Amino acid sequence: MWVSCSRWRLFVRRCWSRECQETMLCALSLFFVCILSACAFVLPVDLLLPLAAINGFLVLHGLARRGSIMGVVKLGVIQLTITLSLYLLLYGVGHLAQGAVVVGRIMLATIPGWWLCITAAPERIGEVLSAFLPSKWAFVVAASLSLLPYMAEEVREIYQIQCLRGARITPKALRNPKNWPELVYCVLFPVLIQLLKLSRQMAVAAQSRHFGKSTRVTHWHSPRDKK
Amino acid sequence: MKLLELDGVSFNYGSQLAPVLQELKFSIGAGQCHCVSGPTGSGKSSLLNLLAGVQNRPHEGEIWRHSELITGLVMQDPQTQLLRQTVGAEVAFALENLGIPAENMLPKVQLALRRVGLFLRLDTPVSTLSLGQKYRLMIAAQLVCEPHLLLLDEPWAQLDDHGVSELLTVLRDLIAEGMALVLVEHNAAAFTDIINHYWQLEAGRLSAGIYTVRDTPMHDEPTRYRGSASHQGKVLVSAEAFDFCFDGCQPLFRCPQGFQLHAGEIVALVGANGSGKTSLLKSIAGILSLKLRIPLKVLGRKPKLGVYGGELGLLLQRSNRQLFETSVLTEMQFSLHRFGLPKERAEQMLAELGLMMLAEQSPHKLSYGQQHLIALASLACLQPKVLLLDDPLAGMDKHYYGKVWYLLKRLSAQGCAILMSSHRVVEHSAVSRQLSLYNGLLTETIFAMDERDVG
Repeated sequence: MWVSCSRWRLFVRRCWSRECQETMLCALSLFFVCILSACAFVLPVDLLLPLAAINGFLVLHGLARRGSIMGVVKLGVIQLTITLSLYLLLYGVGHLAQGAVVVGRIMLATIPGWWLCITAAPERIGEVLSAFLPSKWAFVVAASLSLLPYMAEEVREIYQIQCLRGARITPKALRNPKNWPELVYCVLFPVLIQLLKLSRQMAVAAQSRHFGKSTRVTHWHSPRDKK
Repeated sequence: MKLLELDGVSFNYGSQLAPVLQELKFSIGAGQCHCVSGPTGSGKSSLLNLLAGVQNRPHEGEIWRHSELITGLVMQDPQTQLLRQTVGAEVAFALENLGIPAENMLPKVQLALRRVGLFLRLDTPVSTLSLGQKYRLMIAAQLVCEPHLLLLDEPWAQLDDHGVSELLTVLRDLIAEGMALVLVEHNAAAFTDIINHYWQLEAGRLSAGIYTVRDTPMHDEPTRYRGSASHQGKVLVSAEAFDFCFDGCQPLFRCPQGFQLHAGEIVALVGANGSGKTSLLKSIAGILSLKLRIPLKVLGRKPKLGVYGGELGLLLQRSNRQLFETSVLTEMQFSLHRFGLPKERAEQMLAELGLMMLAEQSPHKLSYGQQHLIALASLACLQPKVLLLDDPLAGMDKHYYGKVWYLLKRLSAQGCAILMSSHRVVEHSAVSRQLSLYNGLLTETIFAMDERDVG
């Protein structure tokens, strides 16, 4: 009896190890984020304010974890400008509020994802996803998330290089819609080419590090989290 | 013990395209070190991929591998091989795939990092490392699996001298333990101590020996080229004493004396990997805004993106990122058109560099050296007053190396102030001064004429 109790305690301790706690926390965060993002689209307008309050807490927490909200803010401003301009052209001034609500919903769906990227390591998200997805798919999701900051930096550098080369894509030049196509072929095309090359080279890099060789994949846990 | 053998192997990237590798015969045994040299675009990296078994296209001929062979491949650009966000997770990736239990990973990861001389916290974000440090991280990510055969693509170009010497020590030990090594390297001399077999790959054929450039690069100097130590031109860039620090961080380096760049001089900015060379170049170009601004004046103004027009050029590493046009000629004409300069300059420049045959080709299909040279030439066409180059000689073979120097000397003769970064001392008579960035200190070294002329 005593022996089976000790074994049970040992089993529980192992199952509720630090690594397990991290994974569980990440799984809960992922679930929470999915629910919040879905709510942004399905909740009625009068419930968006409480949802915005929850998102506000996520923003504060993300900022406390040294996350940068500037990318999300820029996305929101661009989204707002384009959407409101289209609503104004298509439906007139009376429907501008509706346009703003649409943008608001998109932002409320984006913020939880931003928060998750800051608070959870991509490999941990990959580990959670591998519980119900094939490990190759889970890796693709984790690798894509890891790639986001790099690609953001890459877009910024390509934009700056092209500005220096005289492309009409400075914020001032982009006030004129005639220059918008230049942003597409000077920045978007090179970024897409980079992305294609990168995905191919990353596949080779993963293959050269034995990716896909074993069916039983394990997961790294940083000793940082031991503290 | 034989680890791997190629017998009559041919390979191409499409049935309509010319073969990249033809009838290769090559054998690697435990404890051997092979070095493959050849011109840029000759198929050296394809050969490494084939040896590593990661080449997905079919090949002709036979490749025999030892049944238990573990290979490790480190490609040229470490940036494209990063799969995780922290140093520890990156190195542990291969262990995860081999199903090594999590509790056994830590000592292996730490040992691999120590072997390549990376003494960093395991949760250090990979994005904060320099290109050279990332290359070493990639080597660690392969060494963690204790491979029998390690394949390295141009380590000398990516690492500073200290990094190369540390890598040599590691490789020497690994070879002594029986690991085989294949290096693809333009500068085989840096690894002479450990290399047993030299190979050259040219026109798809592999033969014994070291590749040497047959068509001599341009050496004819522009008429107004003034030699080295004289830099009496107008001051185009000036900085007073400053501390360089990223927002919320400790100073990366200090510059107690400040520095100046004069018209018509070529100045080398030399420092170890991760010392802050690229960041300084970006600050001068006005594309890196820091809260603690550097007291800098470039062409009489505070640096800001887009205020200099065609008067300032910046060439960053991996310059192929900026290419987007459908032909080399239109790519080169883009900036000329935007700055209202004569488009004919592009054709003249291509003719001068002996690259007219590339004019109608897609810039995306060129070799690394050609892309780099086209990116540099499109800046040179503008005849800028200040040109900032981030490691413009990295990964270039001697053929393109000569062409790059020809362009730089030509621009210098036209009065352009050139600041070029490098992770090792630039041995060229056209360099008049050196800004050294070591141990967190940016200081100036002036070469005396006689000193530069020795040898």
